[in-house]
Amino acid sequence: MTLPIIDRIWRVRGEVPVDSSLSPKEVFARLDPLLRTGGTALAVEGETLSYAKRNPAAQDKLATFNRGTFRIEPAGAGAVLHFDLFSNALLLCFLAPLLFLGFAQAAITINAWEAAAEASEKSEKKDEEKPKPVRKLNPVDEFLGAPAPEDPNKKKDKDDKDEGRHSPDEAYVLAGLFFVIYLVGRWLEPWLVRRRLRAALANPPIPG
Amino acid sequence: MAGVQVGKRIIGADAPVIVGWENIGRVQGGPIKQFVFTYFQPAMLFAAILFWYYAPNWLAVASTAIAIRLGWTILLLVLEWVNPRYSNWQLTWKEFASDAFYVGLGMTFIGMVDSYIGDGAIIGAVRGAFDWEKFSWFTGLPLLVQALLISMIFDFGQYWMHRAMHNWHPLWLTHAPHHYITQLNVQKGAVGNPVELFLIGLGIGGLFDFLPRAFLLAGAIGMTVGVYQHINVRFNTPRWWRFLFNTTEHHSVHHSQDYQATRSNYSGTWIIWDRIFGTCVDGEAEVLGMEGGRRMDIGETMVFPFREGWRDAKAVLARRFGGGKASQTQLEPAE
Repeated sequence: MTLPIIDRIWRVRGEVPVDSSLSPKEVFARLDPLLRTGGTALAVEGETLSYAKRNPAAQDKLATFNRGTFRIEPAGAGAVLHFDLFSNALLLCFLAPLLFLGFAQAAITINAWEAAAEASEKSEKKDEEKPKPVRKLNPVDEFLGAPAPEDPNKKKDKDDKDEGRHSPDEAYVLAGLFFVIYLVGRWLEPWLVRRRLRAALANPPIPG
Repeated sequence: MAGVQVGKRIIGADAPVIVGWENIGRVQGGPIKQFVFTYFQPAMLFAAILFWYYAPNWLAVASTAIAIRLGWTILLLVLEWVNPRYSNWQLTWKEFASDAFYVGLGMTFIGMVDSYIGDGAIIGAVRGAFDWEKFSWFTGLPLLVQALLISMIFDFGQYWMHRAMHNWHPLWLTHAPHHYITQLNVQKGAVGNPVELFLIGLGIGGLFDFLPRAFLLAGAIGMTVGVYQHINVRFNTPRWWRFLFNTTEHHSVHHSQDYQATRSNYSGTWIIWDRIFGTCVDGEAEVLGMEGGRRMDIGETMVFPFREGWRDAKAVLARRFGGGKASQTQLEPAE
């Protein structure tokens, strides 16, 4: 299935230059330290290498991209390593704001529902409020200058609106936060991949 | 691996653990860096106490605490970046996003569920059942005494809940996902199954009546002491601090891949509870996790207690009634 524009959300493509004197085998050998990690399956066919990771470790350098292919292609006089990587993490992070917006909506719905239930109950009950005792500070704290506690009975003069049991605000903030995390990841992770590939290709593998 | 005998136990037989304070790493760098990373923890504790002690009433509210907590988290993330304990534990984008998801879940979904069945509801019920005015002498105590009492009573409850989680299989199933983390970072305390996060939040500190400011002070102590359990920062922690308080060193031992080491350092803030009840192991560890460091993704974290609980219950029933045809492979004894 080809999704030409939408798939840019979770798919990263690009290329880095490779030394054209190296054989595909030698190029892929240089990528080995990046790819030979726990839970990674590799398949090499000529000039193409594909990999898939199952639940990569937190410390895995390619953990964000759980599958992908590398292909060596001629470019002008030299050659490039073309990469095409897929990330479930980026996709899930892109969708995460929807989940939190859902939580926000749930909070609003439950608040409205509870307010309606409460209103029908309140009409039967009268407000019987005892005056709350006024707390005093310990003399030690008075001497040290800590502010005295407020009179709990005075608070009521402001007719503070009952905003319900749940607040949707946290969920809105988190939805925004995950959108920012996504944008950062969509820019940072390809940049890091490119940097790691360049570094790996520049170093001949350690024999042994 | 030989391991080291601590009390009646051998610590470090399955995975490397540094036992004792003599051989743990020190802050590397010039005198200014040494100074900052030696006195950062106590300086922040005293600053937080002073702030909440003297802040005027309009400022001493929960929303200020939330704003401070956000800034504090960002500061600690910067410290992790500047002076990591182990490069192996360095935060990646994916780990950060995954940790943030657990924090977000705690702030939204779990918070909503908790308001019906969590400690708030239980405290309300218990308070309604007794004449708590009799305990009002608590509110007459000096603020710092109240704050210390709240912090220590709450942590005492957490200590036993946490210890129970490591000793009783049904509770362990809820706590196990948290032990699959393979590195410590600022937000890693939130990683785990929601059932566990709900259980560990059941404190007993909130049952007593204290002045609101004492609660904020107690919260400040928790925020500037307990927060270092999960952090990837190298400190030269002062001796008196690591005698009294839980540290990232203690908690890394608790998260080690070594089975005996995980059965130690249960407290959240006051390591003296572990010292009193004989479960403290001073030291630190780098190799963390379960099953050789297998990572547990978010999906598995959510279903693990139910899946394993179902599996174990079936095995138990099969053993008892099914004529011993329990072919299910048992997990290693989880406690």
